[in-house]
Amino acid sequence: MPRTSRFEGRLLIAPLTAFLIALLGFPLVLDLIYSISRVGFENIRTPELVGFSNYAKAMADPEFWAAAWFSLRFGLIVAVIQVVAGLGLAVFLAPLFARRPWLIALLMLPMMVAPALVGLMYRLILHEFVGAVPYYLLEWYGDFPAFLGRDWAFTTLVTVETLQWTPFALLILHSSYAAISPDVREAAALDGARGRRLFLNIDLPLMLPAIGITFFIRFIDSFRVFDNLYTLVGPGAGGSTTSMSIYIYQAFFKVGDIGLAVAASMLLLAASFVVLWVINGLTARKAPL
Amino acid sequence: MRKPFVDTLRWLAFIAAVAILNFPVIATLVTSLKSEAEIMTNASLMIEAPTLGNYAAVFAMADRFDILHFLTNSLVASLIGSVLAIALAFPAAYAMARFGVGRTWLLPLAVNLRAVPLIIFAIPIYLMYQQVGLLDTRFGLALILCLVNVPLVLVLFASSIADLPLEIEEAGRVDGAGTLRLLVYVVAPMSLNVVAASTVLAFIYSWNEFLFGLMLTTNSATPVSVGASFFFAASGGGVRWGVAAAVMILATLPPLVLGLLMYRQIGRSMTAGAVKG
Repeated sequence: MPRTSRFEGRLLIAPLTAFLIALLGFPLVLDLIYSISRVGFENIRTPELVGFSNYAKAMADPEFWAAAWFSLRFGLIVAVIQVVAGLGLAVFLAPLFARRPWLIALLMLPMMVAPALVGLMYRLILHEFVGAVPYYLLEWYGDFPAFLGRDWAFTTLVTVETLQWTPFALLILHSSYAAISPDVREAAALDGARGRRLFLNIDLPLMLPAIGITFFIRFIDSFRVFDNLYTLVGPGAGGSTTSMSIYIYQAFFKVGDIGLAVAASMLLLAASFVVLWVINGLTARKAPL
Repeated sequence: MRKPFVDTLRWLAFIAAVAILNFPVIATLVTSLKSEAEIMTNASLMIEAPTLGNYAAVFAMADRFDILHFLTNSLVASLIGSVLAIALAFPAAYAMARFGVGRTWLLPLAVNLRAVPLIIFAIPIYLMYQQVGLLDTRFGLALILCLVNVPLVLVLFASSIADLPLEIEEAGRVDGAGTLRLLVYVVAPMSLNVVAASTVLAFIYSWNEFLFGLMLTTNSATPVSVGASFFFAASGGGVRWGVAAAVMILATLPPLVLGLLMYRQIGRSMTAGAVKG
C-alpha cells in the first residue's frame, strides 16, 4: 500500500472518527469522571472526586438489581419466543412467500411503527372501557385481567414486545431458509429424508448460524428496552417493570442523582462488554467450521 | 406436489399472523375513525358511523399542541440525521474496503456499538448539550440520530463497496481521477441502491427514535414520537381517545407508507445488517 493512499484513507475516515470522538468518546470520559465524583447540576464543571462510592451505592440498591434482573429475564424470554415463533412462521409460510414475495411486506409492517407509539397504542387498546381487547375478552370469556397491574404487567410487556419484533426474526430466518440450495434438499430427499426429518437434519443445522444471530440481536434489543415500556406503564406497576434503561433514566431525571445514574451506566456498559465478549467468542469458534 | 388443504392452512396462518401482528395499528385506526361518543359506547372493531372528525380536531388544537410542528421536527431531524450518517459513513467505508484503514478498529467499534444500550451515553450527552446550547434544537437531535444510524450504515456500505468490481476504479485511476473524484463519480453511482436502501432504513429508525427525543428536547425540537403522548393529556380530565388515536395514526403513517413501498430494500438491508454485523 503506497504511503499516499494510506494518508488518503486516513483523511476519508477522519470525519467519522471526529464525530465518534465528540459524541461517544467525550461522553464516555465524562461518564467515567462523574461516576467517581460527587456531582450535581450546581458543580457540573467542577466535580469533586470521591472514589467508588457511587458504584457502591448502585450495587447496594435493591432496585438496581431488580432492574438488572428484569432486563435479563425480559430479554431472554422475549428472544426465545421470537426466535421460535419467527422460525415456525418462516418455514410454514415459505411456500407462500416463494410465490408472492410481497406478502412478507405485510408482516414487516409492525417493525415500521415506533416502539414508543406502540406503547401508547396499547394504552388505548387495553383500556378497560374503550379498549378492544378487554371488550372482546368480556364478550367471549366474561372477564379480563388488569393487564398493567402488578401480576400481569410482565406478561403484557412480553406480549407487546414479542408481537412487534417477531417480524424481525421471521425476516432474517426466512431469508436464511430461502437461501438453502434446492440441491441439498433434493439430495436429502433421494436419501429418503422428508417432512420433519428433512427439517431437523438438513434445514435446521444449516440455519443455525442465522438462528444464533437473530437470538442475540433480539436479546440485546429487548435487554435495553425503554420506549414502549416508558409509554405504556412508565414507572408504574409498583416498580415491577423497571428495566436497566428506565432505572438510569429515573436516577438522572427524577431523582437528580447524576453520580448514581452514570455509575449504573458504567456497570451496564461493563455488562454489555461481557455479553459482546461471549457473542464474539461463540461466533469466532463457529467460523472455522 | 401442492396439497390444497395445507395451502389453505398456510393462507389462514398468514392472515391470522398479519391481523395479530398489526393489531395495534388496526385497532388504533378503527378508534380514530369513530366519534368521541361512539368510542365511549362501542369498543369493538366495528364502526357504526365513520367520521374524520378526530383528525379535524387534532389540527384544530394547533394553538396548544401543534401536530404539524412535531411532524416537521421529526422530518427535519430525521432527514439531517440520515443524510449526515451516510455522508460520514460512505467515505469511511470506502477507506476501509480499499485502503484497509480502520478496518481493525473502526468497523468492530461500530458493529459492537449497536449492542451497547445508548442510555449509557445519554446523560453526558445531555450535560454536554446543556453547556453548548444544543438542547431542544433540531440539529442537536439530528446529530444523535446520526450517531444511532452510523453503525448500521457503515456495515452496509463496508460490505457493498467491498463487493464492487475493482477494475472500474482502476480504469478511473489510470485516467487520472483522484480518490475524491472516484468516490463521487464512480463509486457513489454504483452504490446508489445501497445508498437508497440505507437512507430509507436510517430515516425510519430516526423517525421512530424516542429516548433522545424525550431527553434532549422540551418543545421547540420535540419529535412526533415524543409529542404524540402530549395529546393524551390534552384535555385536563379524561383522555380524548379519538384525538389520541388520530395523532398516533398520523405519527405512524410516514414510516408505515415508506415500509410498504420499500419493503424489499428494507428487508435486504435489515438482513445484511444482521448477518454482516
